[in-house]
Amino acid sequence: MLMEAIGFYAIALFLIFFAFKTISSANPIHCACYLVLTMIGLAGVFYQLEAQFIAGVQMIVYAGAVMVLFVMVLMLFDIKTELRAFSRGLISGFLKIFSAAILAGFALGAATNSIGIVDEGPPKVMSTNVTRDLSILLYTKYLYAFEALGVMLLVVAVGVVCVSRIKGGTHAKH
Amino acid sequence: MGNDVFEITVNFIKMVVIFLMMVQLVPLLVWVERRACAYMQNRFGPNRVGPLGLTQLLADAVKFITKEEFAPGNGNKFMFYAAPVIALIPATLALNAIPLSIPINVASFEWLGHTWGPYIFKFQGYDFNIGIVFVLAVSSLAAYSLLLAGYGSANKFAMYGALRASAQTISYELAMGLSLVGILLLFNTFSFSEIVTAQSGPLSFYFFGKVITVASVPNWGIIYQPVGAVLLMAAMFAETNRLPFDLPEAEGELVAGYHTEYGGIKMNMFYIGEYGHMLVASALMVIFYFGGCTIYPWLTPDTVNAWFANYGGTTASILTAFVLFAVMMAKILFFLWFFVWVRWTLPRFRYDQLMDLGWKTMLPWALGNTIVTAVVIFIMRTKW
Repeated sequence: MLMEAIGFYAIALFLIFFAFKTISSANPIHCACYLVLTMIGLAGVFYQLEAQFIAGVQMIVYAGAVMVLFVMVLMLFDIKTELRAFSRGLISGFLKIFSAAILAGFALGAATNSIGIVDEGPPKVMSTNVTRDLSILLYTKYLYAFEALGVMLLVVAVGVVCVSRIKGGTHAKH
Repeated sequence: MGNDVFEITVNFIKMVVIFLMMVQLVPLLVWVERRACAYMQNRFGPNRVGPLGLTQLLADAVKFITKEEFAPGNGNKFMFYAAPVIALIPATLALNAIPLSIPINVASFEWLGHTWGPYIFKFQGYDFNIGIVFVLAVSSLAAYSLLLAGYGSANKFAMYGALRASAQTISYELAMGLSLVGILLLFNTFSFSEIVTAQSGPLSFYFFGKVITVASVPNWGIIYQPVGAVLLMAAMFAETNRLPFDLPEAEGELVAGYHTEYGGIKMNMFYIGEYGHMLVASALMVIFYFGGCTIYPWLTPDTVNAWFANYGGTTASILTAFVLFAVMMAKILFFLWFFVWVRWTLPRFRYDQLMDLGWKTMLPWALGNTIVTAVVIFIMRTKW
């Protein structure tokens, strides 16, 4: 129990620190790298909650694939223009303060409303095969949501291809 | 980690030893690579320093370590120095999660006036029950080392190399993951040790609801999943950035790709990472498709244990584990040799060929393999 608590608070501090660095550093590449570390920390949290499969998938999909793409695209940016665009001006300053206020409100609201989560519920039934339980749930109880999400992702993928081919670019039809 | 001091100490030592094993295999593999390349090109290769040129590597190591330390002035220093270190991490973590032999059973014994309870030491750094997902997860982080190296160097060629590396890794990761689904469906588990146990018996499968057993043929994955094995092998070449997929460091076009600005021990660490990935890839091939540490009729946990029956429980268990470890290493070394062999045999792909192969050939084949396997397993396991 003590070790669990130490592990949890270590990962929590790690997560909060790198999540904060993600939104506070000025260089987009550094932000993306911090976000990768945040994702890895999140996988650690899932692992602590005995959701090993979700932890692994979190690493493969987010840290391994999505963020590699992000970093790769960001490296093609001209960072000096980006820095100028995001660091000056009255409107962007106002936006920053505004979003910080909203974030603080959310954090406060979440903290006051989530006390119930900390209370111990009924003893959970631990199965030895987490993956099997998860897949059975996905294909029975949550089948509709699962399939709807799949269709939505397909629509997004097709939409992105369409948008990228409308005009210009290397794949445009002349 | 364990319940008492002895178990924790042994488990810790195991992890360090596996890491050192990976690092120590690298000079040997470099020697094999250089000699093999020389042999294939009708040259001698390094043969002057020591017997067969083996101590050439020692000389190389001294040279690498004592070289001048430098970093490009306009680059990002932290990323530049972090990249070679990060190159080592995924391979080490993945190799530690792979069982290299069967577990060792240690009976309880007296030592230092204390009874140390019976232990089971797994022949691996740590064991997750979803080991396969873990290995895929950590090896997917390997792209960051190349990306950081490319970005931190502030060099066009390094940058091109890094971008190519990440595009290639993402493209082939999909095919690699999908090519494994067939074998996972077949053995119905995510655990390496269960897959190895399933392959250590005679060939036995369901044929329209009846179990058919063929004695004297091992129950290896390659017999059920030849397409998956070929796809995994090709994807592994791409993931390790070896020829014919070494576009990130294509020396004809990009000077040296992502490690253009690196020299000395830093560049050597990229090499250690690459060879570590080859080691992980070979171990995965052996475990999924070639029976892991067992060869069915002769070398299975039971038959090997019977050789050492006179020595008593603990000693017999340790000897059995090490004999099977030797079998596993022999198979892994064969695949490492295969990596070297292919490197000096095939030419490099063009970039569009690489992308076509990944997305238009391997991905559909892997998807088809998954669907066909699932349908066939469903039909064969139903009672008729």
